Amino acid sequence: MDLNMDNKIKIKSNNLNVFYGQKQALFDINLEINQNEVTALIGPSGCGKSTFIRCINRMNDVIDICRMEGQIQIDDKNIYDPGVDVVQLREKVGMVFQKPNPFPKSIYENVSYGPKIHGIGESKDDLDQIVENSLKKAALWNEVKDRLEEPGTSLSGGQQQRLCIARAISVNPEIILMDEPCSALDPIATAKIEELIDELKKTFTIVIVTHSMAQAVRVSQKTGFFHMGKIIEVGTTEQIFKNPTNNMTQDYITGRFG
Amino acid sequence: MNEDNHIVKSYGEELQLLTDSIIQMGSLTESLMLDSIKAITIIDKEAVGRIVESDKKINQYRSKIDTQIMTILVKRAPMAIDLRVAITALRISQDLERIGDLAKGNAKKILPWPENLPEELLKSFNRLGSLVSEQLNKVIDSYIKKSKDIAIEVIHADGNVNDLAYSSIKEALSFLSKDIKHLEFATNLLFVGKNLERAGDHITRIAENIYYLAEGEYYKNK
Repeated sequence: MDLNMDNKIKIKSNNLNVFYGQKQALFDINLEINQNEVTALIGPSGCGKSTFIRCINRMNDVIDICRMEGQIQIDDKNIYDPGVDVVQLREKVGMVFQKPNPFPKSIYENVSYGPKIHGIGESKDDLDQIVENSLKKAALWNEVKDRLEEPGTSLSGGQQQRLCIARAISVNPEIILMDEPCSALDPIATAKIEELIDELKKTFTIVIVTHSMAQAVRVSQKTGFFHMGKIIEVGTTEQIFKNPTNNMTQDYITGRFG
Repeated sequence: MNEDNHIVKSYGEELQLLTDSIIQMGSLTESLMLDSIKAITIIDKEAVGRIVESDKKINQYRSKIDTQIMTILVKRAPMAIDLRVAITALRISQDLERIGDLAKGNAKKILPWPENLPEELLKSFNRLGSLVSEQLNKVIDSYIKKSKDIAIEVIHADGNVNDLAYSSIKEALSFLSKDIKHLEFATNLLFVGKNLERAGDHITRIAENIYYLAEGEYYKNK
């Protein structure tokens, strides 16, 4: 088990409550996410795990009826403080979605767009370098280096998802949120993404929502189980899947959920 | 929580069938152990063939259980309690097979024995054998009931098996020292004592696995 107990806490939620209109989606979530680790969030559909990760880069802000109480801290600073620049926050916290969603632009532009609008790459040379580095980190460079001008959408599903990961890391984020990043991919493409996640955690802090227990076991060091908007159990991934302390966790991971 | 309330019913059934196989294998091993001890105590050489056949059946159970476990691992990727059911079944079936081998080996050792061995000497091996059988019976009971308490009793009682094994071996040695012509079968008698002591160790391991199955952690003997 390579869980580093001395790891710094990167993200911390304090008594987080989230409402969509009258409906409460999250109840008093207290969760600590360690730096340079992969934290997996599991739980049945509608349990609030996606809502939770969308709070980490304030994606829920764009939903009018969404209201939240409590705090999410990144490096001990509340990201919901009035002074926080959301654009800067999202530069720091990248996101990869369930379905690969490249821009309808070239492979090159998919990756260079972020650095360009965030003013990271000044010259064409800088951008070239960023695109190459990001694609290398996303383990896609060798497959696309000779076809950077082709549309991103011309790639296979697995390649598109790695392109989205390259796009996310092109702006030097510190955190990457992944919402079921492999659910639309075949086993080989999934294996490549999982291998990549293992590599990425050396540089980034990763939070992944997954419906695959086996994937959570393979990629994460820490696992949190959500149910009906509440966090039921958090622990090392090994403990959660070998010997959970909560019966509800056990019932869920063993396929006994009523 | 039971094995049988999975959303996928056939998964629960597979786990139940695996548990049933272990219980059946355990009962067969227990009968074999009792037969073997009886054969030793009354020097019943005719029973040996029957015992060898029963041991084959136990070995077949081991293969069957292996297949059941592999199927569950491949099909279901079991987690938590289900994973422990599969893993402990693998280990317990190995120990049961070894106990069967030891009981069979003991029975075969009586073949060269004369009919007129001192009753006292055989009685002491009978006491040892009865204690081992009792331990085996208890450990299977604790598996059926998933009872960590019975498992702990079994673990703690292994010291008694060891003590009795050593005193029986001592008696056999003193018998052997009286007359060198006893050498061949008295040496076999020593092996019987040693084998029963080893069977006791396998029973202890089964008990430790039952504790792990029930608790999700290993028993720490204080």
